[in-house]
Amino acid sequence: MYGATVDPIDLTQQDDPQKLAEFEARIARGEKIEPGDWMPGEYQRQLIRMISQHAHSEIVGMLPEGTYLTKAPSLRRKLILLAKVQDEGGHGQYLYHAAETLGATREEMIDALLEGKAKYSNIFNYPALSWADMGAIGWLVDGAAILNQTMLAKCSYGPYSRAMLRICAEENFHMRQGQDIVITLATGTAEQKEMMQDALNRWWWPTLMMFGPHDTDSPNSGVLIKWGIKTKTNDELRQQFIDQVVPELLAIGLTFPDPDLHYDEASGHWITGPIDWDEFWRVVKGDGPMNKERLAARRKAHEDGLWVREAMAAYAKNYEAA
Amino acid sequence: MRADLHEALSARLLAMADDELILGHRDSEWCGHAPILEEDIAFANLALDELGHAIIWYQLYAELIGRDPETLPDELAYQRPAADFQNVRIVELPKGDWAFTLVRQYLFDVYEAVMLEKMAESQYDLLAGAAAKIRKEEIYHQRHTSAWVRRLGLGTEESHQRMQIALDSLWPEALSLFQPLPNDEVLAEAWIVPRLADAQAAWEGQVRPWLTDAGLTVPGDVHAAGKRGQHSKHLAQILDDLQEVTRLFPDNQW
Amino acid sequence: MTDTQWPRYVVLYQDREGNPHRYAGSVHAPDPEMALLNARDVFVRRPECVSLWVVPVDRIFAVTAEQLEEHPDLLAVLPEGSVQAAAYYVFQKIGARGLHSFAAEIEAHSSQEVLKLAVEKLPAKNIMVWWVFPAAEVHKSTPEDIQAMFAIAETKLYRDQGQYHTVAALRRIKEQKDKEHANNAG
Repeated sequence: MYGATVDPIDLTQQDDPQKLAEFEARIARGEKIEPGDWMPGEYQRQLIRMISQHAHSEIVGMLPEGTYLTKAPSLRRKLILLAKVQDEGGHGQYLYHAAETLGATREEMIDALLEGKAKYSNIFNYPALSWADMGAIGWLVDGAAILNQTMLAKCSYGPYSRAMLRICAEENFHMRQGQDIVITLATGTAEQKEMMQDALNRWWWPTLMMFGPHDTDSPNSGVLIKWGIKTKTNDELRQQFIDQVVPELLAIGLTFPDPDLHYDEASGHWITGPIDWDEFWRVVKGDGPMNKERLAARRKAHEDGLWVREAMAAYAKNYEAA
Repeated sequence: MRADLHEALSARLLAMADDELILGHRDSEWCGHAPILEEDIAFANLALDELGHAIIWYQLYAELIGRDPETLPDELAYQRPAADFQNVRIVELPKGDWAFTLVRQYLFDVYEAVMLEKMAESQYDLLAGAAAKIRKEEIYHQRHTSAWVRRLGLGTEESHQRMQIALDSLWPEALSLFQPLPNDEVLAEAWIVPRLADAQAAWEGQVRPWLTDAGLTVPGDVHAAGKRGQHSKHLAQILDDLQEVTRLFPDNQW
Repeated sequence: MTDTQWPRYVVLYQDREGNPHRYAGSVHAPDPEMALLNARDVFVRRPECVSLWVVPVDRIFAVTAEQLEEHPDLLAVLPEGSVQAAAYYVFQKIGARGLHSFAAEIEAHSSQEVLKLAVEKLPAKNIMVWWVFPAAEVHKSTPEDIQAMFAIAETKLYRDQGQYHTVAALRRIKEQKDKEHANNAG
């Protein structure tokens, strides 16, 4: 009861069909599951996996933007990017917290990330090569994240749902500032337009891959939907995103690196060409352009910070009343 | 305003703005690389605040010299070569380890707090208003960095050593903050900006006991290292980074 | 020494005078003062806070409605012995969408006794989660801190998504293009 977290999984409870039925009935009624409530071990496991991956993504996501914090070409853009990066750290923080309420510890989660055992969103394994990338990341990557997070805000697990609500409220500004950069560049000088088009060419397909494999190739989706963790499939969200951003980017004079992209009158959807899943899996498995660098940077920060963490703990032990 | 006051104040404002811009730059280098997530967030906030202060001082400078406060700050930050910057050397130095960064930030925060407290009573209304506003943030900064300094000073043998090494190299650099600009005296006489000697006394009155209580040895009588406006090679490197995009694509709106 | 991410402190914030403190999340910190400072940086980036509390996570006695139903013995209180009465805070999460919020301050000899009294006496219905913790364990911001710690956020408007008039900009661009098309076609 102490600690406001979920107790470790009691495997003897896992075979209790009545508890499972009650649990599923609660979810069907739209109730939130809170730390302390009974939950299937699989629910707990899936959530810890999803939430910690989400948290890791926010943290690693600070790195490509970190490169451009120092290079932002106006003081206002610098301020905005700093505020955005601060938010992202905060979002990672909310998410680690949600995972902690399920019994995961931050030490374990950080170790898993740094040892290359934990996943994070693939999108951050791509490098930020120009200022225009900041626009692409804001409009596309954060735009995609907003769709996903808006869906997850309805999640059955209380702490995750609350974290999502908090994040959604803050993420809108991230997308808008990205849009602002893209519009400024796309309607600017010829060289700015070229910079923006190049960034879009590089970030478009990886953003579409952010939504995950096609539904037919997604093994986790079934149970996630049954237990109210996800309410839309990967393909549904991806299509929603495509329909939203394609017309807007075309309207400002940008094009897409996709000769097959077209509007289908019958369905009312924008249809893209085939996604290169080979690249997706290559990058997921650690072979992307920045995988090693991103993790190496995080590892270095962690190792360099060891003496700091130890010193602060020592002070608390010796100088603060118990 | 009298011509000599005008000239002196504009020089001082530009110097203060440049200090904050460059320090904020160094602070922002920690994003994603701090010892723990909570500090990544705290340092992003710190960098944000310092940059905000720089903008306020640049805008005040613009007002004073009759230029557009909306456009001049960017011009000053992105178009000037290193030689034209008026910051002190301490803010240019590479971020070093966490101890170095915290000691530098602490020494600078107390300097700023002391200056702002006095500038909040400036006879020049615009300066008084800006100082009063910025001061609120500095109170918070000082609380944060002084807490860190104490904890790291007393924490472990290793943290203590790193802090002492940092303090030994940073103390003489910090003293440069109190070297008056050529015309600061007229500003002090007109109660526009405090006399730097007074600010130094107030600063030492705070930092010496705090650092000593943190288990650190504060250097005795030491000369200030360098002079404001004398730059190390680091400033040019900072500007190569800061001005990279605008140099590649000049004459663009961003 | 083992490397840790430091202990966790739950963060509770009050957005306006007169409103109850509510659950924001938690921060890792080595001690209560750093927890308060970290809480401000993590949770108070947008202006909506006049008071911040932090409490070590393991001091919170937390019980869900489901647990109360299954274990009514949670409300069976042990004899006090020589334990002094102390002030405890009670937070409740009400309903599916509720946020854990301050409900009452109760003086008693143990968290369990407080819970028992709270369940008996507090009027709210549909309580999903109860939290009980000693007031003495809470580190709080002071009213003096409001200016330095919280009010600043009001000036940082660039965090407000309404500052970026991109919807209007996109509309203008579209209208411009439509006009050009019409001109070319005509």
